[in-house]
Amino acid sequence: MAEPLNDPQPQPAAVPALPAEPVGNPFLAMVLAWLVPGLGHFYVRRAARGALFLGLVIVCLWVGCSLQGNLYQPLAGQPLTILATGGAMGMGLPYFVLRYALGYAGDVVGAGYEYGTAFLLTAGLMNWLLVLDAWDIARGKKE
Amino acid sequence: MLSHFFLMVLYSLVVSLFFTALWKRERKEQTKLFLQLFLGMVGGGLLVAWLMYPFPQGPPSPIP
Repeated sequence: MAEPLNDPQPQPAAVPALPAEPVGNPFLAMVLAWLVPGLGHFYVRRAARGALFLGLVIVCLWVGCSLQGNLYQPLAGQPLTILATGGAMGMGLPYFVLRYALGYAGDVVGAGYEYGTAFLLTAGLMNWLLVLDAWDIARGKKE
Repeated sequence: MLSHFFLMVLYSLVVSLFFTALWKRERKEQTKLFLQLFLGMVGGGLLVAWLMYPFPQGPPSPIP
């Protein structure tokens, strides 16, 4: 005859609550955030933050272009330019519009060339962070 | 617009605002982080400039 089970049934491990409700599709949020700075935050219903981020990236782009900074592209024999290009491409559509639609190339002898390059690269890197932020918000891992 | 100091302040302002909005949600925390970042960047820039003052100067800069 089988003994009655006295051991308590193992309880499933408690799942930590997410800090916020998931919002929308995380992959779509990432793509939108990359294409247009701030758009991912609009998609995950963080419009005020999205507008602020859009404004900050636009300021960086505008100052960088005004100073004729370098919009990185890969150069033969200079592997670090691949890394810098990846950073600058973080700005999404504006990179391709500037480079291919407007023919922007910067001016290496311009007085503000180095500063402009820093602003343009920062615009791209900031938007990479916005892509990750939109992903976290969409998954409910961040408020 | 072509001034080392102005561009440094503008860059610090943009970056500080960005990370403040990205990392903090409470107004008090935002103010604290913004001031830490902004003053740290501007103050750090001035400190490095001061430390480099004795170094030999190169050719005249196109930016004043």
